[in-house]
Amino acid sequence: MPSSVSGGFGSEWCARLSASGADALYLHIPFCARKCAYCDFASWATARGDALCRHYAEALERQVEEVSHLGLLTECETAYIGGGTPTFLGEALGGLVRCATRCAPRVHELTCEANPDSLSDAVLSDVAAAGCTRLSIGVQSLCDAELFELGRLHDAARARERVSAAVASGLDVSCDLMCAIPLQMADSWQATLEGVASLGVGHVSVYPLQIEDGTALARRVGDEQPSWNSPDTQASCMEQAQSVLESFGYRRYEVASYARLSEKECSHNKMYWTGRPYLGLGTGAASMLTAEGYKRLLEACPQLGPLPEGMARARLKVISGREEIARGASLLSLAFEEEFLTERQAVAEDLMLGARLACGLDAGLVACAHDVLGPSVDGTLDHLVREGYLDDALAPTQRGWLLGNELYGELWDLAGDTGTVTRRSA
Amino acid sequence: MMSRMKTTDTSHIRNFSIVAHIDHGKSTISDRILELTHTVDERDMADQLLDTMDIERERGITIKSNAVRVLYDADDGESYQFNLIDTPGHVDFTYEVSRSLAACEGAVLVVDATQGVEAQTVSNATLAMNANLDIVPAINKIDLPSAHPEEVKKEIEEDLAIPADDAVLVSGKTGEGIHDLLEAIVYLVSPPKGDIKAPLKALILDSYFDEYRGVVATVRVFDGSIKKGDHLRMMALGDTFLCDGVGCKRPLETPLDELGVGEVGYVVTGLKDPALVKTGDTITYEDRPCAEACPGYHEAKPMVFTGLFPIDNKQYENLRDALEKLKVNDPSLIWTPETSVALGFGFRVGFLGLLHMEVVKERLEREFGLDLIATSPSVDYHVYKTDGEMVDITSPQDLPDVTRIDHIEEPYLKAKVIVPPDFMGAVMQLVVDHRGETSDMVYLSEKSVEIHFDIPLAELILDFFDQLKSRTKGYASLDYEIGDYRTSDLVKLDILLAGEEVDALSFIVPRDRAYDMARSLCDKLKEIIPRQQFEVPIQGAIGNKIIARSTVKAVRKDVLAKCYGGDISRKRKLLEKQKEGKKRMKSIGSVEVPQEAFLAVLKVDDE
Repeated sequence: MPSSVSGGFGSEWCARLSASGADALYLHIPFCARKCAYCDFASWATARGDALCRHYAEALERQVEEVSHLGLLTECETAYIGGGTPTFLGEALGGLVRCATRCAPRVHELTCEANPDSLSDAVLSDVAAAGCTRLSIGVQSLCDAELFELGRLHDAARARERVSAAVASGLDVSCDLMCAIPLQMADSWQATLEGVASLGVGHVSVYPLQIEDGTALARRVGDEQPSWNSPDTQASCMEQAQSVLESFGYRRYEVASYARLSEKECSHNKMYWTGRPYLGLGTGAASMLTAEGYKRLLEACPQLGPLPEGMARARLKVISGREEIARGASLLSLAFEEEFLTERQAVAEDLMLGARLACGLDAGLVACAHDVLGPSVDGTLDHLVREGYLDDALAPTQRGWLLGNELYGELWDLAGDTGTVTRRSA
Repeated sequence: MMSRMKTTDTSHIRNFSIVAHIDHGKSTISDRILELTHTVDERDMADQLLDTMDIERERGITIKSNAVRVLYDADDGESYQFNLIDTPGHVDFTYEVSRSLAACEGAVLVVDATQGVEAQTVSNATLAMNANLDIVPAINKIDLPSAHPEEVKKEIEEDLAIPADDAVLVSGKTGEGIHDLLEAIVYLVSPPKGDIKAPLKALILDSYFDEYRGVVATVRVFDGSIKKGDHLRMMALGDTFLCDGVGCKRPLETPLDELGVGEVGYVVTGLKDPALVKTGDTITYEDRPCAEACPGYHEAKPMVFTGLFPIDNKQYENLRDALEKLKVNDPSLIWTPETSVALGFGFRVGFLGLLHMEVVKERLEREFGLDLIATSPSVDYHVYKTDGEMVDITSPQDLPDVTRIDHIEEPYLKAKVIVPPDFMGAVMQLVVDHRGETSDMVYLSEKSVEIHFDIPLAELILDFFDQLKSRTKGYASLDYEIGDYRTSDLVKLDILLAGEEVDALSFIVPRDRAYDMARSLCDKLKEIIPRQQFEVPIQGAIGNKIIARSTVKAVRKDVLAKCYGGDISRKRKLLEKQKEGKKRMKSIGSVEVPQEAFLAVLKVDDE
């Protein structure tokens, strides 16, 4: 579906660069019952019922209230509680959901990530009652041996049963799946895809496994790229996913995302791809703010320091640890990694991210890019069409989807100077 | 300090080197000597102080020789001047080793108490004995639990025929025994001989360039003395200069009034051209020359030639400037401009050996910020054309058309390998595999045999040395001298990428091995060249005839990182990293080729 902004009105897209609040809220829960073998994200194995979790959730609630008082959440439309394993919080998750809906009253989509092992009936009914509208469940595979290799705590039966329960609860449900994983074969991947599609979920995300440095999996496989994770295997899996899911009536609307109906698409994730500002809280959480939004956050977070001159966009990442946050850190005491982008860089970044979407580059964005980046935009787009990465409607082709880094890299290079200003908060 | 540094009576001078098998502890013992004689404070002590270049330290090898003076107050109540002369430790630099040893009366032979006598112990001891040096055996690492010094003493006596009953037991690590070692040097190493009144005769061991003072030479004075203001002459090259100062290193430069007979130190020549000051040349008085120069001078000739090309052609001038700057301290470097269809403008550079080539390339990249491609090393071929003319060819791409070649001669080396008898068969096979011919075999002792053979230099520079090391578990030591030119049946092997000939990948091979080489090279390139957006055929050809082929399949998918919770910065960093990787590759036609592909020929026999 084309975006609501269309018809070549560059100024409309450019206006996004000066929004003053956050259109989306992200809250990060860095707790898990166990660290999965492939995971290099901000998450730590934690004892169930550890007071740390409760204190962390409470601190996060206070921080959400603080940003809401700054007026940053007035226009906020979506919220996403990710992890880690948010369902690991148990009851405290409900409190966090309630807080988010209270502080960001215009939110119409609120997603909680969940793992089959910790998504109990109690948690399910609790978050639904609190205002959660959508669950994103980390199924990953429906093959027990594969799940074991990944270090997941659930088996296929538990996943099927919990996903069915979630669907039955009336919430929108998405399943995360992983391909190019140990032991996976074309037929087991087929079975996973068909199995999940048969459960009636409205949304499926499909990612090829990345073997990240420093993970247990990286240590296990050593230096050689295993054949189960080779680029060819990844490509085949992604193609297989598209054909199976489409046969079940899903449409690929983003490189890694499938939805049964357009209203089942993940509004929150689309914010990331369409240059909409968002605010992230919790260890490792990322934010993207306009210059205006940054200045507003600065009122409560003087440690951020003034916006460097000539910058149009700020990308922040909370680097305070979970214990620090659990001890009651307020916005004032959070540490951030900061990155600042010029207007040129911000627009080039929007082009890069926009190319992930099946609807292609928004006409408004392309017009805005012309205004900001000049005629080099045409040369690059022509080249990308000629090379077969984009079609005539500037939407990614199959080739563009598989060789995304070529496509994204070239669009990002339109910024000219791709070096960004980075610093750490005081 | 100056007061103690007046010219010393020769009876109180000891000039010596430390020789050892690699890793037996030569450098740590040098460091302890500097410490114990208070030449440097412990706190100023960077480990392995004598090796000053970064690359030397990282690789643990000594490239340039260095001479440090230490003052030792011996137990007999007398004060002695020790000159510790470091020697380069690699086969590329044998000439400099022999010059360094010529400046000494003695050598401390270090043997690891846990390893015993090894191949380079034998070859270094042989070099030292051939130079008629007094040998002081020292058994190192006695602090280790696995040390067995008594057996090692026996090995030294049996394998090297050096009396070792009184070998000094030391630990470079703890400093134990270093004092005994210094005493042994006083008593076992002869003082230098020489006549202070005779005309000056000083051997140049090494030289370096100083922006303000010109070339500074490290010398050993055999007769006479040198003072600031002396009018001096280089005996072999003939140039004259006014001595602008003398001194010694402790280990920093310390100016002196005079360098006397038997002493080692530096001479400021004021000469601005490093090529005028050559290792091995003799310095004498301009108006009162000595009767004959120190023996053994010959010019170090480049033996290996390789193309050096900047990946970014805009760096061509920078590369030229950088080479000129390096030449100031390394006069053996020579180059001529070279043009490649594939790589653009660059230089054909001559080196003393492969290590020299690697060191220079690394310095150019690190110290001058250049990204370079080195092409396959070549030797200097004598190509006789049908019209009778002979041309020197150091780059395969300059080879005339086959129809105009009568025959080609290539340089041979007279080489010798010292190895334990167990490995004799392996070495002989290796020699045959590399077109060598064994000429003689001499048992030096029960545990070492010396194999003499003639071998084409081209074989040696490819992979002979590495294979020798691996097939003899590191035991073999290799020495060689330049031999004659011989006729060989050679052809040019070309490589085509995506149908286009890449001149920089061509090389000259013996005709009967062309097929094998082409096949292994195509396979190797297939591993090295990353998959591209399209299929890339790799072909090996002689003239128009394709003799080998492999294919790099097209890439189907590149990395898609999940943007966890909107962490876009991370995704962008990944893209930037990918771009950096590409920058270090060379686009040839539409194919991105990594630097190492151009040296693939060095790696074809790795398996």
